[in-house]
Amino acid sequence: MRVRVCIPRLAVPLLVAAILLFAGARASFVNAQQAPATMEVKIDNFSFGPAAITVPVGTTVAWTNRDDIPHTVVSDDKVFKSKVLDTDEKFSYTFTKPGTYPYFCSVHPKMTGKVIVQ
Amino acid sequence: MLNPFDPQAALLAKHAQHVVLIHFPIALFITGVAFDFVAQRTKRRGLMDAAYYNFLLAAASTVPVLVTGFLAWQFQLEGQKLKGILLLHLVSACASIVMIWMTWWVQFRGRRQGEELPNYRLAMEGMAAILIALTGHLGGFLSGVNGVG
Repeated sequence: MRVRVCIPRLAVPLLVAAILLFAGARASFVNAQQAPATMEVKIDNFSFGPAAITVPVGTTVAWTNRDDIPHTVVSDDKVFKSKVLDTDEKFSYTFTKPGTYPYFCSVHPKMTGKVIVQ
Repeated sequence: MLNPFDPQAALLAKHAQHVVLIHFPIALFITGVAFDFVAQRTKRRGLMDAAYYNFLLAAASTVPVLVTGFLAWQFQLEGQKLKGILLLHLVSACASIVMIWMTWWVQFRGRRQGEELPNYRLAMEGMAAILIALTGHLGGFLSGVNGVG
């Protein structure tokens, strides 16, 4: 004896909609996670501003020299190191590992800053 | 805080030597020019001698200044290709050093040959003083003495 299973007519469109919804939600979640956030640090008047920033892993930090004097951005442990930045020149670095990254200007070692990656 | 009476700390401070030593040739040369100009007017032998020895010491003191400036470029900037104010400072510094040594040479040659010193040396000394002032201004600008640093 054969049992006939009756699928309601609305079940198929509902299933397709659910799959699409799940896939869309997942994609937007992944995109939100991978979106490269950028933080700006301004170099002006012989100082980094803000001097200390806290960012999530994967953040790109961009330093822009707004001073009339050339500056550099060099981490204490040489993880990142810019060339000499003239006025309005920019240097970026993406932090892929958590930790604390103190840095300074090698032309003016009194100029210091810190990036805390969480 | 850097202790000025701790020689090790002072010597190992990041490229501090260049900005300290540079004051010697600047001061000696400008003093030499002042003596030479006054000596030219007064014809006093003692002032001429004072001018000559100031130029001699100014020329000699350019050597450690040149070495420490080069080391600062190599260590602090890792020998990067210079541009802008840094390049202008380097070029004007080299020209200043040549002028200081030329000034000393004109004085040395005149003294050795027992001749009266040529008058054009005064123009040369004036030009050298202006060039040194420009170099020092750029150096001060770079080092941040005019700013917060």
